[in-house]
Amino acid sequence: MDKEKQVYSMLEKVYDPELDQPLTELGFIDHIVIKDNHVEVVIRLPTYWCSPNFAYIMAEDIKKYVSELEWVKTVQIHLLDHCTSDEISRGASAGKSFSEVFGALSDGDLEELRKTFDIKAYYARQEKLIKYLLNRGMTKKEINSLSLQELNELPLPEEGKLLREKYLEKKKVLNHSSTFAITTPEGKPLSEEEFSDYLQGAKLTRLSMEFNAHYCRGLLEARYNLSAAHEGSLAK
Amino acid sequence: MELIKTSNGEEIFIIDAHIALWDGSKENQLNIHGEQFISCFYDYHKNLSPKEYWWPKNEFVKYSPEKLVNDVFIEGCVDMAIFQPVLLKEFYKNGFGNFEANEELAKKYPSRFICNGTFDPRHGERGLEQLEENKEKYNWQGVKLYTADWYGNSKGYKLSDDWSKRYLEKCQELGIRNIHIHKGPTITPLNRDAFDVADVDDAASCFPELNFIVEHVGLPRLEDFCWIATQEKNVYAGLAVAIALIHTRPRYFAQIISELLYWLDEDRIIFGSDYAIWEPKWIIEKFLEFELPEDIQEETGVTLDLEVKKKILAGNVARLYNIDIEKQKEKLKNCKLYKYTA
Repeated sequence: MDKEKQVYSMLEKVYDPELDQPLTELGFIDHIVIKDNHVEVVIRLPTYWCSPNFAYIMAEDIKKYVSELEWVKTVQIHLLDHCTSDEISRGASAGKSFSEVFGALSDGDLEELRKTFDIKAYYARQEKLIKYLLNRGMTKKEINSLSLQELNELPLPEEGKLLREKYLEKKKVLNHSSTFAITTPEGKPLSEEEFSDYLQGAKLTRLSMEFNAHYCRGLLEARYNLSAAHEGSLAK
Repeated sequence: MELIKTSNGEEIFIIDAHIALWDGSKENQLNIHGEQFISCFYDYHKNLSPKEYWWPKNEFVKYSPEKLVNDVFIEGCVDMAIFQPVLLKEFYKNGFGNFEANEELAKKYPSRFICNGTFDPRHGERGLEQLEENKEKYNWQGVKLYTADWYGNSKGYKLSDDWSKRYLEKCQELGIRNIHIHKGPTITPLNRDAFDVADVDDAASCFPELNFIVEHVGLPRLEDFCWIATQEKNVYAGLAVAIALIHTRPRYFAQIISELLYWLDEDRIIFGSDYAIWEPKWIIEKFLEFELPEDIQEETGVTLDLEVKKKILAGNVARLYNIDIEKQKEKLKNCKLYKYTA
């Protein structure tokens, strides 16, 4: 695989924390420049005002994943047209923490925010999987009582496999010890009575993320005069 | 009378609860932020408006009061409109919005406008006095707040801060009952989630006599907003921005509105066009024609019929601002715009 492809395959792992979608799909990667073992990743966002803390999370992750390639010596991030372009580009390229870069303007680092977004993504991915299983004819009761092993052994078509994989990926991030497949973000199994309400809440989280993704894509298209991108998972 | 009519000839009264008369022109910009702010608005405008409603950028950055009157009342079939001013004094010499300009237009067309104001709790004692003076001068019924606004070195404020509470107490005392809160865009690095709406929860339970209208239904935090609104009965959903999806993404809009009807109720959802980002005309036309897709309706069990639409388009906000719609219709017959639209 050539170097550029390798870098892009790493960038596919970087997600917008708020939208839970890869930057490559969102159109946030403007271009990359590779000189020998040095990589520069140029990124663009839907607005000049996009939250600097969200942007910083993405920039940190770009550096982290691209650095994993064996041949890569340095990773520079260049954020275009943003109210904190300089701070983010310089800070993230140098591997500094958010609070080091923004000093008095930040109230600390981004761990808590990352956690908030992990939980939102967990809800959204879980709801998609449950909805999929319901549409395949499983009952709420059956889904709620699935063990992790049973979920893993379910014979599913490609689409279902992907939803399962995505969900379990986030579950792993949240360090659950329960053997139940479906639990709250804290790892607590749900009673039969709780299940429906819980699902309504999870659905709202998923919808909210999808709305945001739609606005963000539209604004990016308007801002950079792109033709309407393929809406992918947004089309329904 | 320009009351818009439905297909069966019923007249519908409309209050647009979110309009602006702004000056984002080069002459008024203090810095790049001012330029970027209006450009961002323009991207919203182009992205979601039907093509035949696109404005040229030079017209969009600054437009005349006459154009507003034409677009909102004559073309747009709106009966009354509420100014929600944004000052942004760090970006614009004379402010992006301007109380005086709003006031002047309101005087010219009595009974057409409600002019809201604003405050910033970081202005301390001085700001409290200013708020009293402004109430005296403009008789504000409501204020529009930007919790993420820049002020010196401050990175925004929360409604749950001590100073905010002093200002809200003052509002209660002065009879400024309607607190419109805008969440985002985030214009300073905040470590906490800058779109967090938890502070609204706190303020709404501390001040049960005030109404808290969360503009843009808390997007991008619709789920957190709905959660708060189910707890607090004095929290309302302002539809500006969300309703603009009705043209490009009707299914999304259907999902948003049905979730709002499910979690809140039909009495706490309020229409706003966010003029001049979007013109009310096409939004209102599409909203009146709009029907929920069957699967979404089945899933949520909510109703969006003409009665509900009338509440969203005027009834709910009329209650907050003590407007008697029938009396208002009579008053508007004396308005000089009446002959254009009767």
